[in-house]
Amino acid sequence: MKTDLADGKTLKEMFASGTAWLEKSAPDINAINVFPVPDGDTGTNMLLTMQFALQEVKSSSDSHASSVAKSLAHGALMGARGNSGVILSQFFRGLAKGLEGKANFDGADFARALAGAAQTAYKGVASPVEGTILTVLKDASKAAKEAAKDNHALIAIVAAAAKSAEESVARTPGLLPALRDAGVVDAGGQGLYILLDGALQFLKGESHKIQYRRPRLVVAEKELIPRAAQRLTHLEMPHGYCTNFVLEGQNLDSARIDKGLKKRGQSLIVTGDDTLVRVHIHSFKPGEVLQYAMKLGKLHEIAINNMDDQYADFIKMQRERMPQVDIAVVTVASGEGFFELLNSLGNIIIIPGGQTMNPSVHELLQAVESAPSDNIILLPNNKNIVSAAGQVRSLTTKKLKVIPTRNIPQGIAAFLAFGYDLNLEQNARAMEKAIGRVKAIEVTRAIRTTRLDGLEIKKGQFIAILNDEDFISRADKAEEAIFEALGKAGADKAAIITIYYGMETKGAEAQQMAKGIRDQYNAEVEVIQGGQPHYHYVISLE
Amino acid sequence: MVKVVTDSCSDITPQLARELGITVVPLYVQFGSETYRDNVDLSTEEFYQKLKTSNVHPTTATASPAHFAQIFTELAEETTEIMAITLSEKFSAIYAAALQGKAMVKTDCRIEVIDSRAGAGAQMLLVIAAAKMAQSGANLDQLTDRIKRAIPKAHIRMAFDTLEYLRRGGRVGKAQAFLGGLLKVNPVLGIKDGEAFPIARCRNRAQAVDFLVDSVRGFARIEAVAIEDATTPEDLELLAQRLKDVVPAERTYRSKVSPVVGAHVGPHVLAVSILEAL
Repeated sequence: MKTDLADGKTLKEMFASGTAWLEKSAPDINAINVFPVPDGDTGTNMLLTMQFALQEVKSSSDSHASSVAKSLAHGALMGARGNSGVILSQFFRGLAKGLEGKANFDGADFARALAGAAQTAYKGVASPVEGTILTVLKDASKAAKEAAKDNHALIAIVAAAAKSAEESVARTPGLLPALRDAGVVDAGGQGLYILLDGALQFLKGESHKIQYRRPRLVVAEKELIPRAAQRLTHLEMPHGYCTNFVLEGQNLDSARIDKGLKKRGQSLIVTGDDTLVRVHIHSFKPGEVLQYAMKLGKLHEIAINNMDDQYADFIKMQRERMPQVDIAVVTVASGEGFFELLNSLGNIIIIPGGQTMNPSVHELLQAVESAPSDNIILLPNNKNIVSAAGQVRSLTTKKLKVIPTRNIPQGIAAFLAFGYDLNLEQNARAMEKAIGRVKAIEVTRAIRTTRLDGLEIKKGQFIAILNDEDFISRADKAEEAIFEALGKAGADKAAIITIYYGMETKGAEAQQMAKGIRDQYNAEVEVIQGGQPHYHYVISLE
Repeated sequence: MVKVVTDSCSDITPQLARELGITVVPLYVQFGSETYRDNVDLSTEEFYQKLKTSNVHPTTATASPAHFAQIFTELAEETTEIMAITLSEKFSAIYAAALQGKAMVKTDCRIEVIDSRAGAGAQMLLVIAAAKMAQSGANLDQLTDRIKRAIPKAHIRMAFDTLEYLRRGGRVGKAQAFLGGLLKVNPVLGIKDGEAFPIARCRNRAQAVDFLVDSVRGFARIEAVAIEDATTPEDLELLAQRLKDVVPAERTYRSKVSPVVGAHVGPHVLAVSILEAL
């Protein structure tokens, strides 16, 4: 089929447009840069790399595609910074190889070149990780190849590549746990997508709109808990120096240099040819790295960044993206499911309560003292430790408010009532108001035959307790005990019934229970795995 | 008289805009390659109908500087002073587009472009206030001063049943603090420093409506209130009824979120905006 051929000028303009879009997006990309190290500079690094690449072709009016591609590759190599920057330079190297000898190119040529670029990028990294820029590049080139089967127009190929890149970025948290845990998509992949999208905008004739477009990052496929700042502050370890340079020499052997530097740091990438080699490494001893390289030739474009400084800046940047709040919430809970639930609702310090939900005054005090704020709200979630919690107040100089939560459902309701725009007093009031609306039924098994409120209870029978003090039902089967309890507790007036099932209860049984409750009551019924010990079910009525 | 210009994300109804002599610049909502001017080519009802049936997720785009330039040039034939109040620049590049549009115009007419630091009903109340002040004879300097002081007094409380639209559209801002929660909640968001801000997590719609009403009561002196829905006029009516004792009807404006706003908030929002006494 007949399609227009693109030349070197087009190639240059495509990537100039991509770079303009990358420039707008760089701060947002920096903000999500958590892998391999949270140094928050992927956006900047990729931008610098692109600017170097474009600088190389800026003044040239060269229209020979292969020649322009080679210049872009050379510029990218010289300017490459950081992991993503170096991989990007590999991308251009592969692209140049793919367009070798061609003065003009069409979509099919570009698709082939993209495939080569993906291969080159993967080869350049010693231990390639999926869920990063490499995956996005791979997916984009696959889509390009597929599209080239039906259509050789460059715009169609770039559109397919960009779309696939976008979808791939959205999937990265599913492939790389570090991303999911931090609640972000991959920064490097994001940068590559932006580059392709910018190139597409040029081909569509819309690159002039970039200057007043709002940068927008690809959103994760699934809603993630945004906890980069919260989670990463726990990983306080020294990071070393991000060391980048270009080695110029003769008969350089990348494989040998790689071997020679392997033991001196992490995230090593050595790539290039026999006269020019680009090196990137995270090392605690950058001096030794440079000394080693200096024996082999001359060093250019030396850039060394203190990653601890970068990390500190990154954490600061993360904090600014969340609402600023100078109140820490501390609570007591038992059960993996409850830990997960509470953490999903916001920043909270959880003291594991164990079987008895009865931490000592000392444990409470420690948690309060280690909290990152001088204003503390404490949710004890056990009526027995409300007084111990009160004692903590006299032992600390921090401003402490104890919300008298008697069980975890009340704790959850209180935490949900936390207002990011409220001060300590206002929050305490809102939370106290919230717990008044929650009734809790706790269901457990009698460990011995006994009498309660005049009723005989056999060992092994299920008993239900309302609001931690009123024994309201007992039965051989959990279901019976629960339905009786719901009746006595006024579940007909509840709008929401939440069933938290414990360690000893199977999810299927809890779902069955929920179904029965939905059939009988008007309330909305939710089932959540609390994983708590001791109580087979904790049911909250709101 | 100062001519007031705003964009379609103010959610101002065409009738009210006409009455107050306000020019509304539409943004764009796109379903794939189909582009519609906000509240011009597509109404809110039509938008939500399409949302249900379309297999592409809608995207939105700002108005161009050229369009603003054209509007400013046309208005410059009727007046010597124009005030443009736009959607917050943290939500859209439209503030920048308006500024560029101003730069493109060659006229003696004075043009003041103001970022409302708000959106939807809150933006609407500021625009209405500006238009009324203009009608009572305020000049551009007076208007600029007053509106800038009114901006921190404009508040919005929007109850959502899901933040997924906001998240996908990239406008979740600081309200990201509410993302990822494992409990079903009805979040209520506000706007602070020009971006979405987390205010409350209600357990259900009824609680959310209570919260909205309480929010209005929380203000001592109210200039005006705006209430909006997307596809739930019954809820809007309920809200209106409950607010009757708090704010007189003649100072309560009713509206619907525009398609562009709707693309970012979803079909079940209910919002109340308050402009405190100036």
